[in-house]
Amino acid sequence: MTSIARIFARRILQAIPLLFVVITINFVIIHMAPGDPTYTLLGESATPEFVQAMRARFGLDQPLYLQYFYYVSRVIQGDLGFSLLRSQSVSSLILERLPATLILIFTAMAISTSVGIFLGVTASRKPYSASDNIATAAALFGVSTPIFWLGQLFLILFAIYAGLLPTSGMRDLRAQFTGFDLVLDVARHLILPAITLAAFHLGFITRLTRASMLEVLGQDYMTTARSKGLDERAVVYKHGLRNALLPVTTYVGLSMGLLFGGAILTETVFSWPGMGTLLYDSLRLRDYPALLGIFIFISVMVIIADLVVDILYGVLDPRIRSS
Amino acid sequence: MHRQRVATTQETEALRQINSFWRQYRKNRAAVIGFFILAGICVIALAAPLITWYPPLRTNVADPFMPPTPSHPFGTDDLGRDLYSTAMYGTRTSLAIGLLAAGISALIGILVGAISGYYGGKADDLLMRTSEVFLVIPTFLLALIIVAMFGATIQNTIFAIAIVSWPRTARLLRAQFLSIKETDFVEAARVVGSRNMDIMFNEILPSAIFPVIVNASLEVATAILTEAGLSFLGVGDPNVPSWGIMLNNAQSYLRTAWWMAAFPGLMLLLTCLSLNLVGDGLNDYFNPRLKER
Repeated sequence: MTSIARIFARRILQAIPLLFVVITINFVIIHMAPGDPTYTLLGESATPEFVQAMRARFGLDQPLYLQYFYYVSRVIQGDLGFSLLRSQSVSSLILERLPATLILIFTAMAISTSVGIFLGVTASRKPYSASDNIATAAALFGVSTPIFWLGQLFLILFAIYAGLLPTSGMRDLRAQFTGFDLVLDVARHLILPAITLAAFHLGFITRLTRASMLEVLGQDYMTTARSKGLDERAVVYKHGLRNALLPVTTYVGLSMGLLFGGAILTETVFSWPGMGTLLYDSLRLRDYPALLGIFIFISVMVIIADLVVDILYGVLDPRIRSS
Repeated sequence: MHRQRVATTQETEALRQINSFWRQYRKNRAAVIGFFILAGICVIALAAPLITWYPPLRTNVADPFMPPTPSHPFGTDDLGRDLYSTAMYGTRTSLAIGLLAAGISALIGILVGAISGYYGGKADDLLMRTSEVFLVIPTFLLALIIVAMFGATIQNTIFAIAIVSWPRTARLLRAQFLSIKETDFVEAARVVGSRNMDIMFNEILPSAIFPVIVNASLEVATAILTEAGLSFLGVGDPNVPSWGIMLNNAQSYLRTAWWMAAFPGLMLLLTCLSLNLVGDGLNDYFNPRLKER
């Protein structure tokens, strides 16, 4: 087996227990929460007869360890339950909303990573200069600002008062755009939510890049590169940044959980039709199966993203591959 | 008489330490600003009844959607509630939840980190694997689910935030324990037959605690933002003044009443910003090496 395949296999084996833990947490929450778990799963509007039938069907009249077994096997097969309130399976509800959330998250990630790395490198080249202080201050505001409030401010300033951008949704429902016009329309709707979601991470990525660059810039191979007479920009970007990027890559990979959390809040502000608004509506409707399903689904996505980043990391960094 | 003299020497010693701390701390000007903002916010929390003239959350249907005026500095909301009072009292809620959640989380983290780092082996494996789970899964979502399922009360919110945030402290402290437990003074304590508990909490912990203290100020900020996020999504106790709930309410009226969103958010920003600045200052104090770079 090649070393990459071995890393791959080992990491997948490590991810499986994590999935079980997530499912178990869900099971524990369902059974520890006040009230009958059957109602929790079916929603408070369920009739007694229906509850009785469902109890038998889902094995809720069985001993707890069997229930756990049934629950785990159902979830593993992709059955996240049924939302009675919406007469739809939870997984189909989620899959309908998934593309919108992914578009938002990946756009935000692209913005925060590219701008954050640029700001971090700029700041590190002249530590404690004006540009460094501005970048550091911006980073600090980024991590201290409640993301949903930032979204509200953007909405008030740029959508309501300036009227430059749409206030909510993913596309203009009155104008039936198709083709490239539709892409442009979605992009216009995407600008504010994506910048909002990116702002928080921008701060982290800037600070991390700056710290990592400062560490790298002091290394001997940087002096070597300079003494070879290379252009300063080539030294910083080719020799410095490439080595400084490793911790940044790790952070970006590990931040998927944070991004989803942020996406929930951002989508709520901008009525972006993704999983966040689905979650918000489910909270208001007390649609517990949907809530719990979203939690499992997002956890699985995050675990997979983490896995992929880890494997990529092993492929990219020869030191890790060999160890 | 003698006892009194001892007390005085201890007092001067404490004063001397505070002085030396402040001399180092004030070198970071941003941290000093952060300290004063934070002090101001604490004063607001304590003095809320003295600096407001309407009871928080009292509705007054005669005056809805009033823009900021001298009598309503932050304006009023859809139910005519004075947003200034509610925001000032909200300081209490945010600080209380932030401090309690971060405090409980720190206690759990210290206990887990100490046991993990000191004993190692199977206990360490189990505890660290558990903490990894919380580092990977979306913790904001988990806290949200816990509060939604168990009921939107302050206690549940504090509990949920503490439950999802202890692993950072645990891992920090564990790393400290791992390096300190090999030092000579710990070995000496072991040789003279000190009990494990004594060694862990009286010998190692005092030298290992500094990163945890720095982290704690950031954890308070995170807890406050998490609480605000939960309340913003409607998972908060509506009978308690809270910035998150105010922002949730503001969401429906962004077109008509910008002030409903502007002021509670500003309070949140100032609070978290000051905590982050103070955290930076403490970090400079405990790790002067980093500052020199």
